[in-house]
Amino acid sequence: MSILKKLLPIDIASGMKLTGKYFGRNFLQANRSKKHIHITVEYPETPITIAPRYRGRLQMLRDEQGEIKCVCCLACEKICPTQVITIEKGKKEGRKTPYPTRYDFEMERCIFCEFCVESCGFDSIILNHQFELAAYNREDFSLGMEGQFQDMFRVSPVGQHSIASSAAPDAPDYTR
Amino acid sequence: MMTPLQQVVMAVIQITVLISIILLIVPVMTFAERKVIGYIQVRLGATRQAGGIRGFAAGINKLSWHLGRIPILSFLRGLPVFAADGLKLLLKEDIVPDRADRFVFVIAPVICMIPAFATFAVICFYPGTLFVFPEPFPIVGGLPFTGFLTDINVGLLYIMAVGSIGVYGIVLGGWASNSKYPLLGGLRSAAQIISYEIPLSLSLLAAVVLAGTLNFRELSVYLAGVPTVTAAGTTVQMPLLAGIPLFLGFFFYLTCGFAETNRVPFDLAEAETELVSGFHTEYTGMKFAWFMLAEYANMMAVSAIAAGFFLGGHYLLPFGLQRFVPDSMPFLAQPSLLFFFGKVFFLLFVFLWVRATLPRYRYDQLMSVGWKWLIPVTLVNLLIAAAIRFIL
Repeated sequence: MSILKKLLPIDIASGMKLTGKYFGRNFLQANRSKKHIHITVEYPETPITIAPRYRGRLQMLRDEQGEIKCVCCLACEKICPTQVITIEKGKKEGRKTPYPTRYDFEMERCIFCEFCVESCGFDSIILNHQFELAAYNREDFSLGMEGQFQDMFRVSPVGQHSIASSAAPDAPDYTR
Repeated sequence: MMTPLQQVVMAVIQITVLISIILLIVPVMTFAERKVIGYIQVRLGATRQAGGIRGFAAGINKLSWHLGRIPILSFLRGLPVFAADGLKLLLKEDIVPDRADRFVFVIAPVICMIPAFATFAVICFYPGTLFVFPEPFPIVGGLPFTGFLTDINVGLLYIMAVGSIGVYGIVLGGWASNSKYPLLGGLRSAAQIISYEIPLSLSLLAAVVLAGTLNFRELSVYLAGVPTVTAAGTTVQMPLLAGIPLFLGFFFYLTCGFAETNRVPFDLAEAETELVSGFHTEYTGMKFAWFMLAEYANMMAVSAIAAGFFLGGHYLLPFGLQRFVPDSMPFLAQPSLLFFFGKVFFLLFVFLWVRATLPRYRYDQLMSVGWKWLIPVTLVNLLIAAAIRFIL
């Protein structure tokens, strides 16, 4: 019996059966737009689902009145291991809490550890789901408040071409 | 009767058609390889080519993205990749290593490629005339265009002999590169092909013993199980039991065919995890493309031989079961080019299927499978075939 087992390529047959099954399923349904079986994503055209805990670029949040939530407690600046955050305290008309006149974020050194978000007592910053952060110039990595070259309220110029990231920073739904 | 001029012109036409078919199928195979292995690994394979956000390449990418929604055309999405592949091979710098033996280095891919193409000279795609050239043609008017190039009586012997030459190209290519890994790959290939030539010939011999001829056309017609009229005027038909050694022989032949063509799981000649990429490590550009061409042409030859001998050739049913198709059926009972190419394409698919399934054999496993299992088993198969031939 053992010699028969050695002669007949049963394991090979079962392996071929498995791969054949997968081939058949994917060949028949892979390219249809409605039902996908394949696990890869056709990235720039198809939006990809990002895990809710994904740590993308740093972004400042506003409250319901459109005011910046940050009160310049400098907790994020202090806890940042790579010291990429620089905050300048200032005042604004009609606002009781301090207002950040400068909030610089130098992304080229950021390690996306999310310590700043965790340390923030006012939930005023977040790491959003924008993952297309590559850029050709060093200046593209320094982000700041509105009015600077690139502010933290908009999509980075590289990410603007992708459908995947277009919904991420401006739309309020960060859990997508 | 054809004049010598007509013979030459006819031969040239047939060779041109044949070679263009091979040269058409080979690049399509490289494309199919990406797609088939992609589907098996739950991917899509090649669907687009590299390019920026804007520009020509992006336009093609956008087009192929929209093509993906159309049911059948969606399988053709990666085609620009395969055009780019061919262009890249043509335009790449042709590097000859510093201390390489230049002459042998240049001639090795040619030695590898020519036998692979020459094998097709005796393969019979259709056992008769495909069409007759109409009269207005200058030289070949009124002459038949047959489904085979030559109809020699030692066809199988020719295939075996020519097929063995291909390994010279691999060994010479490995040696002339003046590098350790190619040399090891070439030597491995030589040992492997010598080992597997024996069970390959033995499995084919079973078919030859049953049919009693070496002529490819007669073999394939007889082994399909249809009654044939011999030159002596008697009608012969393969016994039904002869399907058993044919069925077994098909799998033995296919296994040895994988080894002969250096395909996975027997691709020890180019084991990239051990030997960089084996005998063609130092080859670039067009010379490398010739090795690729030879490999794929060899795959086609092996598929064509397996289809012709074991799978009923140009008839519908394999293993001599064609007798059960009644003669009254209009299309299925007749030999057809379609059946033959269908079988060839299926076997080519099996090559890719196996590549995506089985891991590479270890070297000692390869040798032990060849010498300890395949040779005895094919000998027993030959014995069964001889017994059936003797008794029935």
